[in-house]
Amino acid sequence: MQTFFIVLGVMLLIVVFMYNSLISKTNQVENIFAGLDAVLKKRYDLLPNLIASVKEYMVHERETLEKITALRTQALQTNLHSHEKIALDKELSSMLGGLMVAVENYPTLKANENFLHLQGTLHEIEEQISAARRAYNQSVTDYNNAIEMFPSNVMAGFMKLRRKEVFNIPSQERQNVDVKNLFQK
Amino acid sequence: MKKRASIVDYYYESMYPELEVLEQDRLVIVSKLKKAAFFLFCFAIIVYLLLHQNFHMEFLEAFMLSFGSAFMLFMFVYRHESAGYSMLFKDHVIEKIIHFLDPSLMYHKHRYLLENVYQKSELFIEAYDRYRGSDLVEGFIEGVGVQFCDLHVETKYRTKNGKEEWKDIFSGLFFVADFNKHFQTNVVVLPDHAERILGIVGSWLQSMNIGRGKLIKLDDALFEKYFVVYGEDPIESHYILTHALMEKIVQLRQKSGKNLYLSFVDSKIYIAIEYNKALFEPILWKSLLKFSYIKEYVELLSMLIGIVKHFKLDEKLWSKR
Repeated sequence: MQTFFIVLGVMLLIVVFMYNSLISKTNQVENIFAGLDAVLKKRYDLLPNLIASVKEYMVHERETLEKITALRTQALQTNLHSHEKIALDKELSSMLGGLMVAVENYPTLKANENFLHLQGTLHEIEEQISAARRAYNQSVTDYNNAIEMFPSNVMAGFMKLRRKEVFNIPSQERQNVDVKNLFQK
Repeated sequence: MKKRASIVDYYYESMYPELEVLEQDRLVIVSKLKKAAFFLFCFAIIVYLLLHQNFHMEFLEAFMLSFGSAFMLFMFVYRHESAGYSMLFKDHVIEKIIHFLDPSLMYHKHRYLLENVYQKSELFIEAYDRYRGSDLVEGFIEGVGVQFCDLHVETKYRTKNGKEEWKDIFSGLFFVADFNKHFQTNVVVLPDHAERILGIVGSWLQSMNIGRGKLIKLDDALFEKYFVVYGEDPIESHYILTHALMEKIVQLRQKSGKNLYLSFVDSKIYIAIEYNKALFEPILWKSLLKFSYIKEYVELLSMLIGIVKHFKLDEKLWSKR
């Protein structure tokens, strides 16, 4: 009888440990996503100033600028799911990347002090976003592993935990960033 | 970084004439030490015979007492004779190499990093009883403030027999420089022994390390193989430890072949490279007139001075410029 209670006690401890570990991983994902959201918001806040300072120079990129503005408005809606935010961020990052390449064709803009400051700030925020994406992906990987591996997957099934989506890290973010080049153009 | 050919030229053109004089001093000291060794060896044999035959001491006791005291006496003579040579070596070799690699750097052979720098790094949180060092190098490399020195930090403990002994907490090179990014929280990177030996159990034990912050997992398999990272904020830890920086840290670990400890505190990077010997001391038995011997010091100092370029600490982000 005593052995039965010991075994029962150990099993109960394992269940509690698994439950707490899954809750902690879920919270970790949410916390990091909140951090990522905060950095994304910093970028959204910067965009109106950036667009205002480039639109009079970049006359041939009007369409891109309008798309960026539309994406920003969409992204600032409060009722978005995390996967929608991820998709919007991906699209916006790609458009901004293209815009910064197009800047090369506008020498007067490249010499504008205000624009250079905004560009520098944007690059810094991009670095923070990249870090937040990586941290988020790592926490999601830990979470996904926990809900798919035995025996915690049984507990995850009872808790109705579902797999989460990770960000696709653009290949250029995995390469060595040449900061000097970025800022000394 | 200066090329090898120019270092060889510098060695033969600028250092060699002075080293020839210093080499004479070295040969005199070596000769004195050889004589002392011979004399003390004879002394040990006589004492041993006296103790063993006249005082009927056991073989082991007589041997330990005679040869032990001879050895102690030899070490005393060695230290006494080599002390002056060591100082001259630092003036004529170490300082010259440093100034060749970067003339703007200052070298202080008797000074070392202040204790508060060591404490602030949070690399070694154990209490210590003795803090010593030497060979402080400081200055600006490519506009980045840098300091490094040889450091020896120890703690005192009592053995089971009640004997007092000293144990190393850290012995090796301690490097501190301005980091190229601003950050608010601290990140500590330590050698990963537990996970390498114990696997998942090791990783679990690391996450239970209450003396440190949260265990941060990073997305670089090779880096994770060598290091364990603790930080307060996972996002900021990833912000500091970019893929490029992790790759450079792994390269430094592989190049030095030593245990590497890093921390990022108050917009500074602290690096501790573990060596179990005094790094800037001369080896009395090696000739100064052979470049291969001097090359070891050149390579070590080049590696340290090259950390700024290697980690691209001079390429500051917008807000730090």
